[in-house]
Amino acid sequence: MRILVVEDERKLSDLIARALREERYAVDTACDGPSGWVMADTYEYDLIILDLMLPGLDGSEILKRTRRKNQHVPILVLTARDATEEKVRNFEAGADDYLTKPFAFAELLVRIKALLRRGPVSRASVLRVADLELDRLTQQVRRGGRRIELTAKEYALLEYLATHPGRVFSRTMIIEHVWDQSFEGLTNIVDVYVRHLRGKVDDPFPTKLIRTVRGAGYCIEDGRES
Amino acid sequence: MNTRSLSFRLVAWYAGLLLLVFGLLGGLIFAAVGNYLEANLRDIQLRRAQQIADTLLSGARAGGDAELAAAVESLYAPEANDRFIRISSTDGRLLFASASPHDESFDPRSVPALRGPQAPQSVRHVPQAHSADLLIASVLRRNASGAGFLVEVGASTAPIRSLLRRLLAVLLVGLPLAVLATAAGGFFLVRRALEPVERIAQKAEAITQHNLSERLPVAHSGDQIERLSVSLNLMINRLEEAVHSSKRFVADASHELRTPLTVLRGELESLMRNALGRPTLRETLGSMLEEVDRLTAVVEGLLALSRLDTGEARTEWVSFDLAELVSTTAEQMSLLAEDKHIALVRDCAAPVMVEGSRARLKQVVVNLLDNAIKYTGDGGTVRLRVAIEGDKGAFEVHDTGIGIPAEALPHIFERFYRVERSRSRDQGGAGLGLSIVKSICTAHAASIDVQSTPDRGSRFRVLLPLASALAPAEPLPLPRATAT
Repeated sequence: MRILVVEDERKLSDLIARALREERYAVDTACDGPSGWVMADTYEYDLIILDLMLPGLDGSEILKRTRRKNQHVPILVLTARDATEEKVRNFEAGADDYLTKPFAFAELLVRIKALLRRGPVSRASVLRVADLELDRLTQQVRRGGRRIELTAKEYALLEYLATHPGRVFSRTMIIEHVWDQSFEGLTNIVDVYVRHLRGKVDDPFPTKLIRTVRGAGYCIEDGRES
Repeated sequence: MNTRSLSFRLVAWYAGLLLLVFGLLGGLIFAAVGNYLEANLRDIQLRRAQQIADTLLSGARAGGDAELAAAVESLYAPEANDRFIRISSTDGRLLFASASPHDESFDPRSVPALRGPQAPQSVRHVPQAHSADLLIASVLRRNASGAGFLVEVGASTAPIRSLLRRLLAVLLVGLPLAVLATAAGGFFLVRRALEPVERIAQKAEAITQHNLSERLPVAHSGDQIERLSVSLNLMINRLEEAVHSSKRFVADASHELRTPLTVLRGELESLMRNALGRPTLRETLGSMLEEVDRLTAVVEGLLALSRLDTGEARTEWVSFDLAELVSTTAEQMSLLAEDKHIALVRDCAAPVMVEGSRARLKQVVVNLLDNAIKYTGDGGTVRLRVAIEGDKGAFEVHDTGIGIPAEALPHIFERFYRVERSRSRDQGGAGLGLSIVKSICTAHAASIDVQSTPDRGSRFRVLLPLASALAPAEPLPLPRATAT
């Protein structure tokens, strides 16, 4: 999988490239509009990460030109502006996803994976982490064969964590996915729900699956590693 | 009446000055008239005395005293004309003396003889017991033979006195009346002249941070009032620019902070991934990430505020049921309350249709409810109420928490204001929650107020305009969509 990162902030593009290489992606970087467009135009990429404010050639222009040429490459737009109209305009111009700075890298990786898998890859209807099983159709949860009753919010939270076992989800990400943006900044609600979720999912069992990563957030993983 | 007001002081000074000038003028007139009348009376008496003396000298003295008396009587009729006439010779012989006048204004017998060395003519006042002084002019004449005659002619000053008294009365009554009338007129004129100032003041009071683009009315009078309004408008210009640039600065600075924050967070996360076996390092990195989160929260909050201040587009505005919004939001947050054994009481059964951005107003509900739960102790109660009050939709959050001290109440909607330093720091708040609530309310033409008793609880109340009664059920009426 080959990814192009067009970002004029050198440090940020290096950082994104590094994180992506750790995930075994091939990464090219471009630091201004014209070179970004040349690279996007010349090579076949599986994904393009595009900053909107670029010297030389605007990100939205690259977006439009790329879409005119190639209908299929997923494009993830990065921006420091987050007005709703702006989002709508970029989606209309052909952006597949939209991430506002500052973002957590976990979020970026999750979105990239989602974009790359999109299309023919179907979403598994049963998620498994160690002996925990989530049935996404019936919204039933079992652990070690035993049925666990969860409220709707608890289920949504657990399902979100379980889509990417081992990946750390920041509280902001969790709020945006499980609640909505009105709850932004209200991180304690996540802590309370996670505590209740643990009470049901982890406490009755010897191995703990939900882990707290200080400063970063929560993740669910097979307890054997740590 | 406000005795310190400009109009009152102006009129008081004006009236005082007028009273002084009129008083001086009146006194002057009074003195001048008195002087003139007395001088006139004196001249008449002197002239008459001289006439009599001339007649005596030229006329045949041979006729004797009786003839003299008859001549004086026929010529001057002193009794009928209320005059005093007395003629005597220098050797003390009385030649003629008039009787009491008809009006009895003086008694001729009470007039003493003129004594001492005598000038050719002199004037003297003879006081009268029951009436005004008698003014007497005396003329001394000698004939060729050396015999002298003293002619004394007098008249009462009573007419002068009564005339002066009347003048005084006119002045005493007329003067204050004139001043009073002028003062009233002056007051009216001053009020009229200050009317533009009143209009300017009213407009100036109506201008707040949210309508700084408005200007004061300029009276094109070419005077100080026009200058005042023009220079006030220029001041508002500068204020608007200052507020604008400070807002732009906050927005720009927050924007500029986003990329470095992303880099910082990314670097820390990357370090975190590579520090698996080192718990102290992970702890430090975790703490740094928490601070990055807090910085991010502040930046996001400031950006949200600056967007609200510049007035968001109303494309997201819809009519919706506030009661339903509050109810579902409370449901989503119920675990927060449950966690602290707080009873979350909802009183929002009847639908209350309001108009606005659902997401923004939900933020108001979330922030107020979160605060209420945060500052209420275990086992307390948080009450939510949505109802129609008059032409407004009311949303109330009532808690039994620690409350807010009275001196802090006016400031709680200010940015970064904290009731106590320690109070919300450890709760992770950015200090912007309530200012965001306030800004959202302002953008929705809603008012928010708070009542609080320390240790008893607080009550926040938002009053929103109701959605237009015509189309309560329609999600988005067409005119509003095109109007934005």
